[in-house]
Amino acid sequence: MFCIHCGSQVPEGGNFCVGCGSPVKRPAAAAPPAAPSYPSAAPTPPAPHLSTPPPPAEPRSASTKCSWCGNLVDATETSCPRCGAAVSLAGMVTESGWAQLPARKDMAKLQFGNSFCQVEGLYVPVADMNLAAEDGIYFTHHVLLWKDPQINITTMPLAGGWKRLVAGMPLIMTQARGPGHIAFSRDLPGELIPLPLQPGQAVDVREHLFLVATEHVKYDWFQTGIWFQTQSGNDSETHYPIGMFMDRFTAPTAPGLLLLHAGGNIFVRHLGPGQTILIKPTSLIFKDPTVQMALHFERPSTGFSGWGFWGNRYLWLRLSGPGRVAVQSVFEPIEGEARNITSFSYATEQRW
Amino acid sequence: MTDPSYVPPGEPLERIQCQWCQSMNVKTALSCQACGAPLDVRNLVSESGWREAPRIKDMTEIHFSASTCQVEGEIVPAAEINLGAGDAVFFEHHVMLWKDERVPLSVMQLPGGLKRAFGGMPFLITVAGGPGRIAFSRDATGELVLLPLHPGMEVDVREHAFLLCSHQVAYSFIRIKGLANILFGGQGMYMDRFVTTGAPGLLILHGYGNVFERRLGPGESIMLEPGAFLYKDSTVTMQVEFQRLGTGFLGGTNMSLARMTGPGRIGIQSMYVHHHTE
Repeated sequence: MFCIHCGSQVPEGGNFCVGCGSPVKRPAAAAPPAAPSYPSAAPTPPAPHLSTPPPPAEPRSASTKCSWCGNLVDATETSCPRCGAAVSLAGMVTESGWAQLPARKDMAKLQFGNSFCQVEGLYVPVADMNLAAEDGIYFTHHVLLWKDPQINITTMPLAGGWKRLVAGMPLIMTQARGPGHIAFSRDLPGELIPLPLQPGQAVDVREHLFLVATEHVKYDWFQTGIWFQTQSGNDSETHYPIGMFMDRFTAPTAPGLLLLHAGGNIFVRHLGPGQTILIKPTSLIFKDPTVQMALHFERPSTGFSGWGFWGNRYLWLRLSGPGRVAVQSVFEPIEGEARNITSFSYATEQRW
Repeated sequence: MTDPSYVPPGEPLERIQCQWCQSMNVKTALSCQACGAPLDVRNLVSESGWREAPRIKDMTEIHFSASTCQVEGEIVPAAEINLGAGDAVFFEHHVMLWKDERVPLSVMQLPGGLKRAFGGMPFLITVAGGPGRIAFSRDATGELVLLPLHPGMEVDVREHAFLLCSHQVAYSFIRIKGLANILFGGQGMYMDRFVTTGAPGLLILHGYGNVFERRLGPGESIMLEPGAFLYKDSTVTMQVEFQRLGTGFLGGTNMSLARMTGPGRIGIQSMYVHHHTE
């Protein structure tokens, strides 16, 4: 282990650092066994504070509810052990109901199973995993930053390889098992989004945002069914504003941890049953599987209004509750948006 | 220049040592005179032993030779140098932000110019002399890494990572050995090498994203994504190794990782230079 003050290596069992003399704080490793600490009766859907009626006051003396993942956190902790969010303050919620991903303290530590993940850095954060012998993780391409030499990495074959290849999705997932250290980051400034999944919980994630997940999280993917076709001359082209495929992560029996990476700042809200919101398609990060998606067009009702003329048009993604949705403040332009749209997947329309 | 280790007669010999660059500072100092690291903030060291490069407070001023340097901004920081007479700094193309009109520029003579042009290295290293002000920055989110070099130090830096360096430091470049290292090391054919002989000097790097440093013991090694490598002591060796990842069809893919072996310091950047291994 290493001294948290000066970085010197401290021999196992030592009480003081040999480099700077400060007392050594022991990690509470191996003490809480994973499974019993999350009874199945645990509060299932996280972020309940996002619903419109204010939640009943929580007794704050013994424990506080994490504003990001809903975990009950001991009052002595400064950051949530499951997702790393700072718990000293209530979640920052805008008047319109969006909650910002809480500021994370540098070097915040998350626990999963008997392993730990430290999140380091503020511009391009690093997820530094300390894997216990019995724990494993899997990750996508081009996110591995460094690892201990003794950690072995192997591939996890995925179904539907050919279709994934055509769609530009990663063909393989790589997996690593403990014991040892391994760290991940993505080559873009942004936020690291920890999503703890309770048993039975699932989440849909837009493609290319996934960083790493614990091995108990099941990975699957499905076609979004959101597309539109453009035509210029004889060339017609199909565009997928949120990608052809979407990733679905499920924790079937045991709790799991999912780490995503997205640019800019991150906001989340809870949609009630039937409640809808229009978002920029490329800003979607994740949604509960219960949230339905469709295209939505908005345009002026005056003037020439054939489908071929798209001067003042807005292309939205319409999300309908119930469930959670999250967006990022840095997003890419929608490819083909300004071109002549000839056909599209199911969409609603509004003219002003 | 005021020598930070000078103690006026009659004053107690108390000094604070900077944990980042090991320079001695007066007891009342809030940030290190030589590298700008805050002295009143606890070091951020991960449990795996990586130390985060000190977050330099906005407008921190540091001293080297007869000159000062102020670090401005936090997301894409700029280094503003007030060169003393007789001092000079050298730098690559495309990092100069602004300068006083009177600051003269000249070209550093480098051996192996043609080879460098071939290797994609900057053909010219420019030198700016004092007195006057000149400022530098690189065009991406990141951190400035201030590495005061004590006499007799040798540091190897990824090409195009150095922002500027004071004239006391000797600049050279070394060819990366081994074809695999060149092709898959993710950093081309050459690495910059900075060597101090008698006098101390200052080297400023720009790391993309966040920067972390770790000291490897003799024989201790770690596997790095090659694009994450930023700098190392010349005693640390680098060897690219391959990991075969089979996909079951289309022959699979290779992943290359650089094995860095101690003893010495190694610095990495978290927003690594992206390159394809397939």
